[in-house]
Amino acid sequence: MASRKNERLINLTIALLATKRYLTKSEIFRTIEGYEGTAESKERMFERDKDDLRRLGIVIDVQGVDPGFEDEPGYRIHPDIYSLNLGELNGAEVALLSLAAEAWRGAALAAPAQSALIKLRSLGVASDFDALPNLSPKLNVKSPNFVPLTRAIADQITVTFTYTSAQLKEERRTVNPFGLGSRQGNWYLVGYDIARADTRTFRLDRIMDQVEFTAKKSSYRAEPTFDVLAFLDSTLFEKREIAEVSIRVGRGHALRGDAQIISSDDEFDLCRISYSEESRFIDAILWHAEDAIVHEPIHLRNKIVERLRALVSAHE
Amino acid sequence: MPMNRNMSHSGLERTERLLDLVPYLSTHQGIPIGELAQEFGVTKAQLTEDLYTLWMCGLPGYTALELMDLSFDTGYVNISNAETLARPRVLNRDEVLALILGLEALQGDADSHHIELRETISQLVSKLIGFVDTSVPQKVKAGTRALSIERGVIERAINSRGSVEISYHSISRDEVSTRVIHPLEFSTSNEIDYVLAFCESTTGYRTFRLDRILDAKPSEFSKATSTRLDLVGTGEKIPLTVNVGSRLRDVVERFNLEIAPQALKSGESLEVESFSTDWAMREIMSFGGDVSLESPQELRRSLKDRATRALNGYSGSV
Repeated sequence: MASRKNERLINLTIALLATKRYLTKSEIFRTIEGYEGTAESKERMFERDKDDLRRLGIVIDVQGVDPGFEDEPGYRIHPDIYSLNLGELNGAEVALLSLAAEAWRGAALAAPAQSALIKLRSLGVASDFDALPNLSPKLNVKSPNFVPLTRAIADQITVTFTYTSAQLKEERRTVNPFGLGSRQGNWYLVGYDIARADTRTFRLDRIMDQVEFTAKKSSYRAEPTFDVLAFLDSTLFEKREIAEVSIRVGRGHALRGDAQIISSDDEFDLCRISYSEESRFIDAILWHAEDAIVHEPIHLRNKIVERLRALVSAHE
Repeated sequence: MPMNRNMSHSGLERTERLLDLVPYLSTHQGIPIGELAQEFGVTKAQLTEDLYTLWMCGLPGYTALELMDLSFDTGYVNISNAETLARPRVLNRDEVLALILGLEALQGDADSHHIELRETISQLVSKLIGFVDTSVPQKVKAGTRALSIERGVIERAINSRGSVEISYHSISRDEVSTRVIHPLEFSTSNEIDYVLAFCESTTGYRTFRLDRILDAKPSEFSKATSTRLDLVGTGEKIPLTVNVGSRLRDVVERFNLEIAPQALKSGESLEVESFSTDWAMREIMSFGGDVSLESPQELRRSLKDRATRALNGYSGSV
């Protein structure tokens, strides 16, 4: 875009912000630099400029200036709506907001986080990092689909994407997205899968391509109070089962996080561990080989014995 | 509040930058031009062009009285007569979302370690939620522990060339041990964060996974004895041949294979690599027969022995 057009957009913004009353189009064409040519071309320029400013999130208020002249609308930008007002902020609060923005370095929202940081720094309140303990959060969702999916959720737009199944087959899925959430280091999309007529969970890094918006805004009705983390916990991570496991003393740290020790001897701690997905729990037990032995429930114990036999015979 | 920002209108990016430069300069009078360019992510040449454009802008009339006044020929930028644009623009939807999710990540750690910050953080979140007219902040949630405390301690040590005592969970050895490290830099690979450090006990450069650092505190870099560290990302990779049954996706994800999904078929042999034979053996064991190791032979034999030992654990007591 030529500098001239940029100059005109900046000048228009300044004039509409500074005015205490609504400016008519003819006043704008007469006083703001850059509106040139025939009446028709000025008109076209102005329409495009208004669209551009609105695209930047700038709210231009329109009003009939004089009830007698209905065809002469007036324009202005209200400074209070244009500018950022976070109320009184102290240095520690600005420092916390800066840390929040810096958590996105290298991740999906890095660009908006940086522009937010610039706006915060422009408030003129110095960050007081010394008022805070050592903190440095990190959000590492990198999926290019993260931002488009937040838009689809906000505007209730149906999306379509290619998803990798457990057998590595690529499947087309059409989903009304409800929410995005992160658990145990992975980000998940929860939504209504139209073909399967059910609410399903999709891991973001298993979406193989760019999500496509397949309908207009408000193509479905979302539950206004959908709680994505509660949904993930209840489906993926709800601890329903309890197992009794002997864990070798000084071993099995990954299992001990959720464990409660019932009794111990020199060799083993007898522990009670709650788990959600049986197949993942079996993987974890097998991973610890001779350091973790399951006693209860018996069906779980039998499955592990069966898997260990298969493992031995696969390596005969 | 209209929130759709269409970045394909590349010229508008420049318009936004021009609008955002004015409030930034108003509160950073005398900033070096190079620092300003870096903050806005553009070259010095581009930024100079931006400043010339702003210099032509102002209130109607466009005489010296109405135009913004910028000086930057000394290499330091000053602005005046720019009151109309001097306050920063409102945050857009993506910016609000980024800040809220970042604050929630902080909240996770504040809950367990710094109760005094909880109130401040939730007040900031509710202020920000007021800026968006959608329910997105309620529907997009980062629930994981963001490791702020550990990162914070390590980051400060990097900046001050200090040392950190860490409790490290070595997965392949399945041990937790305490080490003193001299951290040098953070890195990320496959969405996993690492810190490169000089390790006192092995007197060498090592890479540690951040999510396996269970605790970190500032320390003196002493010659205290400590046992050997688990090495991640150093040394030679060991080539392995595995045969994969039905759980193809799990194999691709756990061995970090960069492979086109359709290129892999059930029952096929596959070349994978690992830094640690112990880790590879445990990963294969966790598939419980769905995946078998074909080579190297000696590892195949010890895997069988290990599986047999594990099975023997089930022959006695119930």
